[in-house]
Amino acid sequence: MSNSAVPETESTGRVQQWLAGIDGALLTLCLGSVLVVVAGGLVQVSFGTYSMTVVEAWQAVVNPNVLFNLQAWEAFVLGADLPEMNQRSLIVWNIRLPRVFVAVLVGMNLAVSGAIFQAVTRNELASPFILGVSSGAGLLILLTLVVFSGLSALLPLVAALGGAVAFLLVYAIAWKNGTSPVRLVLAGVIVGTIFQSLQTGLFFFAGDIGVVQSAIAWTTGSLTGTDWEQVRMALPWTALAMLLSLVSSRQLNVLLLGESTARALGMSVERVRFALSGIAVLAAAASIAVAGIVGFVGLIVPHLVRNLVGSEYKKLVVGCLFAGPALMVAADVGARLGLQVLVGASTQIPVGIVTGLIGGPYFLYLMRKQDALGEI
Amino acid sequence: MSEHELFERESNGVSNGESNAGDTTTDADASPAHGSAVELRGEDLEIGYPSTDEPVVECETVLLPAGEVTALVGPNGSGKSTLLKSMANQLAPECGQIRLDGEQVQSLESKELARRLGLLSQENESPASLTVEDLIYHGRYPHRGFFESVGDEDRAAVERAIDLAGVEDLREKEMKNLSGGQKQLAWIAMVLAQETDVLLLDEPTTYLDLHHQLRVMEVVRTLNREQGVTVGIVLHDIGQAARFADNLVAMKDGEPYDWGPPRDVVTEELLSEVFHVEASVDSESPTGPHIAPHRALDD
Repeated sequence: MSNSAVPETESTGRVQQWLAGIDGALLTLCLGSVLVVVAGGLVQVSFGTYSMTVVEAWQAVVNPNVLFNLQAWEAFVLGADLPEMNQRSLIVWNIRLPRVFVAVLVGMNLAVSGAIFQAVTRNELASPFILGVSSGAGLLILLTLVVFSGLSALLPLVAALGGAVAFLLVYAIAWKNGTSPVRLVLAGVIVGTIFQSLQTGLFFFAGDIGVVQSAIAWTTGSLTGTDWEQVRMALPWTALAMLLSLVSSRQLNVLLLGESTARALGMSVERVRFALSGIAVLAAAASIAVAGIVGFVGLIVPHLVRNLVGSEYKKLVVGCLFAGPALMVAADVGARLGLQVLVGASTQIPVGIVTGLIGGPYFLYLMRKQDALGEI
Repeated sequence: MSEHELFERESNGVSNGESNAGDTTTDADASPAHGSAVELRGEDLEIGYPSTDEPVVECETVLLPAGEVTALVGPNGSGKSTLLKSMANQLAPECGQIRLDGEQVQSLESKELARRLGLLSQENESPASLTVEDLIYHGRYPHRGFFESVGDEDRAAVERAIDLAGVEDLREKEMKNLSGGQKQLAWIAMVLAQETDVLLLDEPTTYLDLHHQLRVMEVVRTLNREQGVTVGIVLHDIGQAARFADNLVAMKDGEPYDWGPPRDVVTEELLSEVFHVEASVDSESPTGPHIAPHRALDD
């Protein structure tokens, strides 16, 4: 072979390798998920208490005065003052669309966080909340609403902080010359039970029904009233957590070979496990801060994706980045408009209720159909 | 005593320097192809688990001579796997030290150690949908930085490993579709891709059919003969150990009972003392000492 041919074959090799890396099933999953998100977004911007036609709504979405207005984007992303725009654009761009974006971010965070925890704990039932994150956040939410109501403006931060602190507590309890998946899960269950009891106990001290409803909305997860402020709050942390998850996918793959193999391959298992858990908690905390504790998404989405693309974590994380938002956006359509369609009431229900209602049966269907579902 | 003799030879070899480390053995067959074979040595070891008060293994000296295959044999619970784990720095000894080519393994950074010393555990689990090739690529983990993608060197090492382990036909298969023997060959290919100077294997042939047992042992011997890799291997079957290994370390109750070339170590006395088996040994058999077990002795 002549010398000049070498770089050429090398580059075609790279291209081939890159193409081979794109998995047919993964591509289908991503495209399907994007379709669901777009369709769900379309429904969300078109319907609501302020009535406008579908055409009007979409004219508002593609309104060039907003879409190409630097000032408007400055207002959305950086929180500057909103420029003048017509009422339809205001409703679509300032109320309905950001809610879809928040749903997308929350879906990503929960799905990827769940996928990471399933590898770290080697447990099929792991979710973003397995290491006490939800119970810590829930307890602090109740404490803030019931006891320290002066802090309620800081509720998102307090909730995320509570989750992170509970995680550290679980880790500290599980630690004894290092830790193990089983010890971590057990410590998570124990801390979760205690915090859950305290949280339930605090409901008795709630003064009025408003506080209780607010507490339920936070502890089951809700996107009601989210706007650009929530996007601004979650976006940087989501971007960071998702990026870190993607670059850590190889560590997750090696961790799946079992602790002793990972260690024999030179991995500092304890350090990697803690760092990966940290990434997953960051993602979970970002979603808690904007949407409360949305259950089920983080448990089932990784299984759905694994079922389609296998347990290779680069593919799995990418799949979760798309499938998580799809489930979340679809569920939020139900949460926001479901009661309106069913009983004509304009009340919204917490999205966490809907994720369970549509995710559960679908998961059951898969379980009946597939023998191997659930294996990591 | 053979143990002493072996020790002497090795000590000389180390002091002679690395250039002729291969000359440390008198057996021409056993001399490594490379001059850079590396020895692994444990000294004054006391090894235990956090849950046990008494050390499980106590051992003054254990040596895996450079470029040779050393088999650890002994009955269940004699501490051979524990010793192997400790030699691979997977289990910190309560006291004593383990030296890889003179360097203390505890002081080596974990990836640095994994580039020089490989360990295959007795039982391995893998995701069902993992392909054999992807598994073998994981063997390159210690050679890659956190952000590093697969390089040409990694690809070449994986190809060599696939070739040596003879798993070309399994490359695209998923682990869940393999038999126990095929799985073991895939795992062995993974540690081969690690390209270490020393390779430790914990009962790699247990539960395999005879064909795959021989395949595994042949891969190990080829690796040793052609690349001078120092091998430490725990074997359940003392007959197999006697056929394949250059040296045996017979463990009894957490201590090395005897140590040396198979013809010296495998005796009727050893089989009754260590394995509690009455057997006759034909030490003149051309393929290594041949053991004919007769009956189990009372403890």
